[in-house]
Order: sequence, then structure tokens, then C-alpha cells
Amino acid sequence: MAIDTGLLTNIGFYVSISIIFAILALGFNIQWGYTGLFNAGIAGFFLIGAYVTAIAITLPAPPIVIAGIPVYPGHLGGFQLPFVAGALLAMLASGATAALVALPTLRLRADYLAIATLAFAEIVRIFAINLESVTGGTIGIILIPRPVEFRPPDPFLNTTAIVGIGALILFALLFVLQFIAESPWGRVLRAIREDEEATMALGKNAFRYKLQAFALGGALMGLAGSLFAVTLVYVEPSVSFAPAVTFSVWVMVIVGGSGNNRGAILGAFLIYGMEFLSVQLKDFAPAALKDTIFYIRLMIIGVLLILLILFRPSGILPEKKRVLR
Amino acid sequence: MGDDSILAARDVRKAFGGIQAVDDCTLSVSKESVTGLIGPNGAGKSTLFNIIAGLYRPDGGEIWFNGTRIDGLPPYEIVRLGLTKTWQIPHELRNLTVLENLVLAAKGNAGEHLLNLFFRPYRVRRDESRWRARAREVLALTQLEGLANEHAKDLSGGQKKLLELARALMSDPPLVLLDEPVAGVNPTLAGTLMDLIERLRRGGTTFFLIEHDMNVVMNRCDRVIVMHQGRKIAEGPPAIVKADPVVIESYLGG
Repeated sequence: MAIDTGLLTNIGFYVSISIIFAILALGFNIQWGYTGLFNAGIAGFFLIGAYVTAIAITLPAPPIVIAGIPVYPGHLGGFQLPFVAGALLAMLASGATAALVALPTLRLRADYLAIATLAFAEIVRIFAINLESVTGGTIGIILIPRPVEFRPPDPFLNTTAIVGIGALILFALLFVLQFIAESPWGRVLRAIREDEEATMALGKNAFRYKLQAFALGGALMGLAGSLFAVTLVYVEPSVSFAPAVTFSVWVMVIVGGSGNNRGAILGAFLIYGMEFLSVQLKDFAPAALKDTIFYIRLMIIGVLLILLILFRPSGILPEKKRVLR
Repeated sequence: MGDDSILAARDVRKAFGGIQAVDDCTLSVSKESVTGLIGPNGAGKSTLFNIIAGLYRPDGGEIWFNGTRIDGLPPYEIVRLGLTKTWQIPHELRNLTVLENLVLAAKGNAGEHLLNLFFRPYRVRRDESRWRARAREVLALTQLEGLANEHAKDLSGGQKKLLELARALMSDPPLVLLDEPVAGVNPTLAGTLMDLIERLRRGGTTFFLIEHDMNVVMNRCDRVIVMHQGRKIAEGPPAIVKADPVVIESYLGG
């Protein structure tokens, strides 16, 4: 074959994961960029979305015991719903959870929300590891069906299909988010970010808006999780939903441009691109750098972030001034 | 408390730690008046304003506005009843434009409800353009037209004061509380501002204002209420209050 599908599959994988991060970044941008709500538990809402979809769309998976030794604890599920239903359930679950987590803390000072969400994400992950009969424990959930499956299995076509679906979702989201975030409703969110007390004194029920924004952001993170589950075709709790995921999304939004939806997407592609490159370059790196290239990436991101905050604090694509006619 | 009062506070109390900021304060403001609230620093004036606007919850007492008891209501509901307030230190929404700041003070703007955006797009557009037009009017009134699309943070101190007033006037409320409206505003502009207030009063708006500038208080207010240590100690037309020995001792000086 003339085309090197291996390389294209690799690039496709990069794009599909970037799209997932972009959706996470869009969710965080609604919460932080627009409303000023600091979510330190992005990974938790992401996890809920991934597991809810996995449970909704997989085949039944009973425990596996070989020669008296439990090999796999099984997981809840076997509902075999279509991907669209799985994705909607994921959004619903993550959105509702976000509202529940926010409910007791939103009336307090901003830092309490950060503390509560940080703790929440770790609790959710520990549940995912230990609630074996529901989640499959440390092994997680495997054999998640793709929305579009090519037979015989073709990694290139399967990746292309996922990229297509992801791109479709991302463009639709950008369109809808741009519409609602740049509406009078979104203007109230930005007002709350600037000065919550003053916004209340202008007649706005700030609590209601904060709850809506936080739940909407959470639902988007659930959608990202849903897409993640069908992209990797398995979910496991140890690495994919570690706090580092949350930190990455922060960096993406800050680098891309807080309060700018296109900036959030750009940040996701850039920052995940660096991670992806560092993994890809490992094979080509000189022997001396082989083991350290991954950490060099972290250093580069750190330096980049410091430079950005010094010289371009509002990000690569800063928030635009809204000129009203 | 006569029938002509638009606002009445009865035995309002509020303490912060060991400090009794407002101490059994009873006062009322007549409809369509410009009523001044004066008193030394720490007399409890701004605290009383914040209680009236619903930003602080009083420890005791009642507040009535236009026949409705409003103490305990959240600030956004009090605003919707038609009582707006400006801040002593401007609370401009910094990274929003002046025009956005004003449009945000709109009452019942359909587009501020998420679902309306999808299900009532016509009403959303109509409300928004109506409130933008109103905002332009108020900008002209407060001489801020030229700054409509500037970020609020880029305004000067005096301009931010004007923005405060402009936001308070947006929804044409029956009662406006002004916390030091002319402090930091140049004398010419302060005069224009007070002329505007007088004009609006004739149109039926009531103003209740805290001010330290005695020229403004004596020449522009119909009535003056004097607070000291959390209580009302005197009340009356400016000339009479000015001559009150208690007031002279506690505030005006000999």
C-alpha cells in the first residue's frame, strides 16, 4: 500500500485524544473561564462519564474464575445500548453529580468548591478501583464496542471513524457553546466571575447561574469520558483518571485562553500534542535521552506556562471584548 | 412613619464582632424626596444601606419598602422590587464593557434564562435590543456615551462613579440608594450629576444618599437624617439639622 496507515493511525489517535481533551477544556472553560468557578475534580466527572458509557453499552460481563482463582470480578452492565444513549447517560450522570457536589459548596467562598471537587475526584476514583462488582476493579471494563466497527478489524479505519465522530461532536459543541456563552445568559456568568456581590445587586440570582454553569461543565466532561471509553475501548481507573488529567486541562485552558472557547480547544491540541510527541519521540531519541524525554516534556510545559503567565497572561487566544451595537 | 414614606426601617440592628454597627435604628424616607444620610465615619450608614439592599442580614428589626417587608430577602429579589443601590467603592464589572455593565442591570431580560435562548429566540432578541437602547439612553444621561465599548476597568474613578449611577438608573426604579455619589467626582460633573438627580426626582424617583460633601447635602437634599453610633440622632430639613446642637457636637464640629 502506498499510504503508511501506521503513521496516519498514530496521528488519528493523537487527534481523537486531543478532541477528548478539548471537550474537557470546553467544560472547564464554562466553569472557570466564564463563571470563575474553580473545578479541581475534572478527572472525577470525566471518569463518571467513561464508566457510565462503558456500563451502558457493553455486553454482560460475569465474573471469570479459572481453576478456583478469580481472574476478573465482572462489572455491572450488559445493557448493550447504542453509543448515543451511552453518551447522553454519561452527560446526565456527570452533570447531575456536578450539581450535587456544587450544591453545598457554591454558596461558600470559591476555595471551598476547589477543595470539595478535588476530594470528590479522588473518592470517585477509589470507588472505581474498589467497587469491583460494578466497575471491574483495577482491571476496569474491557471490550467496549466502538460506535462504528470495521470488520475485519482495521486500526486505521476504526481510528478514522472515531476522529470523525469526535470532530462532529466537537464542532457541534463549539457552535452551541458559542451561542449560549455569548448570549445574555453567558454575560451574567462573566459578571459573576468579575464580582458576584455586584451581580446579585443587579438583580441576578448568582447561585442559580453558578449551579447551571457548573452542571453544564460537568455534563461536557461526562461527554468527554464517554468518547474516551469508545476510543480506547477499555476503561481502567489507575492512570486515565488520575489528578494529572485535571491539571492538564487547567494548563490547556490557561495556555489557550481562559474565557475563549476556541482558545480552550487550541490549548488542548497544543498541550496534548506535546505529550504525544514526547511519547513518539522516545523511539527516535538518542540513548541518553530515552528515559528522560518524558520528563523533559514536563519541564518544557512548566517553562512555557511561566513564560506565558509573564508575557501573555490571558492566553494565546485571549478573551475578546464584546462590542455591542 | 407617615403614609408618604417609601422606605422605613424599624429598630434595625447589626453587629460585627463586638462592634454594634447599627443599633436600633429607626428611620423613614419620603416618596419622591432626595433624602440625605450623614454622620461621622463608622456611624453605620453604609452598613444600613447594605442591610436595606439585602447584602447583609440584620440581627433584628424590620425594613419595609413600598408596603413590602424586605429584610431577609436576597439582594436580587429586592432589586426586582424596584430598589437599587450604588456602591461607595465602585463595583464595576472590570472585564466587561460599559455597555455590558449597563445591560446587565436590565430587569427581566429573557435571554438571561438558558432555556429561553432555545425556545423563545424572538423574545430574547426583542428584549436584548430594547435594553441596549435603554442603556444608550442612560449613557447619554450620565455623559458616558463615548465610553460605551470600553472595558469598565479602564474608566477613571469619577467615571466609575457615573457608571454606578447609570446602572442603578437602568430599570427606572422608584427608589435609588446612593453611597457617596459625588465623592471623587470633579465639582462640575458633581453639579451635573446632582442636577440629573433633581430632574429624576421630579419625574417621581426617590433618592436616599450618603454624602460627606456638605454643599451637596445642604443645597440638594429635601431632608437630612443624621446617624451617630448606629442610631438616628436627628432628622429634618437641612437648615434645621445644621443648627441642631447635637449634630454640631457629633458631626459638623463647632
